[in-house]
Order: sequence, then structure tokens, then C-alpha cells
Amino acid sequence: MITVHGRKTSSNVQALLWGLEEMGLSYERIDRGGRFGGLDAPDFRALNPHGRIPTVVIDGRALWETAAILRYFAGQHGAAAFWPTDPMARAQVDMWAEWAKNEVSANFTRPVFWEAVRVPEERRDYAALQAAIDVFEAQLAKADAVLQGQDFLTGAQFTLADVMLGHVLWRYFDIEITRRDMPALRAYAERLATRPAYQKTVMVSYDILRNTL
Amino acid sequence: MTITVWGRATSSNVQAVMWCAAELGVAVDRLDIGHTYGGNDTPAYLAMNPMGKVPVMRDADVVMFESAAIVRYLAARYGDKEFWPAPEQRGPLDTWAEWVKTAFAPAFLYGLFYPLVRRDPALLTPEIQRSGEAEVATLAGMLAARIGPGPWIGGKQFCWADILAGHMLYRYFNLPFTRAELPALDAYYARLCTRPAFREHVMVSYEPLRFKGA
Repeated sequence: MITVHGRKTSSNVQALLWGLEEMGLSYERIDRGGRFGGLDAPDFRALNPHGRIPTVVIDGRALWETAAILRYFAGQHGAAAFWPTDPMARAQVDMWAEWAKNEVSANFTRPVFWEAVRVPEERRDYAALQAAIDVFEAQLAKADAVLQGQDFLTGAQFTLADVMLGHVLWRYFDIEITRRDMPALRAYAERLATRPAYQKTVMVSYDILRNTL
Repeated sequence: MTITVWGRATSSNVQAVMWCAAELGVAVDRLDIGHTYGGNDTPAYLAMNPMGKVPVMRDADVVMFESAAIVRYLAARYGDKEFWPAPEQRGPLDTWAEWVKTAFAPAFLYGLFYPLVRRDPALLTPEIQRSGEAEVATLAGMLAARIGPGPWIGGKQFCWADILAGHMLYRYFNLPFTRAELPALDAYYARLCTRPAFREHVMVSYEPLRFKGA
């Protein structure tokens, strides 16, 4: 049995749940974090000393750090195309997944999404927000270039790298900002939005996060 | 077989890849790229890594960027069952390796290393240093608690996760700042310092990175 601790509006929880759904894994989810609290509870800290979500418990053992959890499940249950078993093929997926995490997701959630959605309008720093959007979009432009010739980030097949990149794109295209024109990236986001697992886990209202900082 | 690594020896991400290759006995031809060397914005380089960062690694037909992914590739390709354990053992270790890469390393780099070394010292205030020290102390305490008696992060055997867990510790222990008292981390670092591959590739002076004026 897989138990996921974490509120469904957390972008990292969304990446994990989307990945689990794509791999056809069933799980139960316990709301934790944000307005649900529970991150400092001793039983939770016993699972994850850092008190962060998502944290997963599988057969009594705890795993945390979204990317590491996804690599674990992908190694056990992922289709060959999703997370190749051959190290040389896996390398291409892993490096783009790392890039998506380090350069895309990290440059979106706090600097862009929080400033645009979670910080109340009267305290919003629009200059800082625009500067953050510029940094973020400079990274997205790398994906836009790659996606001009292929359907997914590493080629013709949907992989773990698409989960790491794609889980922030629905919010990026949904929030009230002016976006750079990146047609290949937009078409890619539209392809992702046809996936039932994406609809279920990522295309989730974030209204509850508005004005919470 | 020799792999090629593009990246200056002073980059902590290059250091992780070089240390890993050396532990695995993989020969490396390293080319100085980045920072004062430049060369990371040429069309040939950007064709290998559109992001223009270091390191890039080439092993025959495999060309990669992102240091943690490169470490995992080298471990999976050239490591034995101890260096790259079976998935059941690997999962919980990957959790810690990932945490060092995404939480400890950036907190140290941006909270202390950049303010104390790479940025204009005129910008450093006691508040900045204290805040960096406080955040790093919390995270270092968690790492020390995980390592415990060790000797390695996974227990008895040195493995790929030690590369990601330990690649920042030379700087951590040599930068002048107030460190939390953590005997388990001190002892872990002392063990790392007995490894020739760590000494050669990680215990590298960071003075070339020091701020030299705008």
C-alpha cells in the first residue's frame, strides 16, 4: 500500500501523484501541509525529519524528496519508455528531469506562482514578479526549442522528464500574467492536458492558495 | 575507455562528477570550461548542453548535463552492487542524496559560500552571515543525524549517495564561519578526507572564485 502525505494543491505533490497515476499505481492520500498543518507532528517527523511534503510511506518505509520518490517508483513499476532500464537511455531522461526540477520548477513555484497568486495584490512586487517571469521563461525557451521537433521532452515518448517539466505548466498558462509567445511549448502543454492523469492531479484549482502569504 | 568532462575543477558540480568517476576507476579527460575559462557559450558547447552550464559529460554516444544525473549514470553503468545498490536499498538513499542536492547544498552555497567568497565583501552584513549560519546549522544537524556512526551514509558501504552527500563538505569545513557542533559530521568528513579521489577532486582551493571587484 502506498500512502502519500501532502495536500493536493502542492506542486510537488502534484508531480508525484501525476507520476503515480501514469504508472497505474493506486495510493491513498492524507492531507497535510498548508491549511491542514500537521508538518510538525511527531509521527510525521518520525517519517521525514524535515517535515516536508510529499512524503510517501510504502510497506512501512518512508521516502521523501519528490524526484527521488518518482525515480524509485519508476524503477520498480515504470514502463520501459517512461524510465528506461538501460543506463544509457535512462541518462537522457534523467538529465532533462534534473534540469526541469533545478531550473524550471525551482524558478516557478516560489518566485512566480507565489508572488502572482499567494501574495495579496496590495503587497505584490510587480517588478520582482516580472523579473522572475523573465528568468523562468528563459528556461522554458530551452524546452520550446526542443519541442519544435518532437512531442515530448526527450523524444517521441512520454517520460519522467515530462512529469518534472509539465507539472508546473498548467499553472503557468493559467495564472494572470503576460506570457512570452512559445507555440511549441503551448502545444505541448495542450497535449499534456489531454492526459486523464494530468487532469486529475495537476489541473486542480489553486483558488484556496490565493492571498495566503 | 575514457570519458570526457567539460568543466572547471573549481565547480562543485564538476567536483561531484570527477570524484564519482575516480571512485569508479573511470578515466576522465577533463577540459577547463566556464567562469574565467569561458567556452560554455559556443555553438558546439550549447549543442551538448543548451543551458550552457558545467559540467557536460560524454561517454562514447552518451552526452549528458546535470551533475546528479551524471553521477547516477556513472554509478549505474560502472558501479558494483555496493556502489549502486538494488532499488529497494537505493530508494531511501536516493531520498537523502536528493535532499543534500536540493536543500543542504543550495542553503550552504547561497546562504554562506556566495556571500563569503563570491560576492563583494562590502555586501556582507553580520545579519546575512548569521541567517546563513542558522539555516545551514539546522540542515547540517539533520545530515549528521542521518549519518550517525556511519561510516557512510548508507551504512557499511561507500556508495554513490556519499558523492552527493559529501561533495560540498570540503567547502563547508574550510570556509570561515561558525559551524554547529556535530561530531558525526566531523567524523564523516574526516573519513572522506582519507579517500584519494576526494582529496584530488573535491579538496580543491576555491580561491579562484573569490570576488575580485566588479
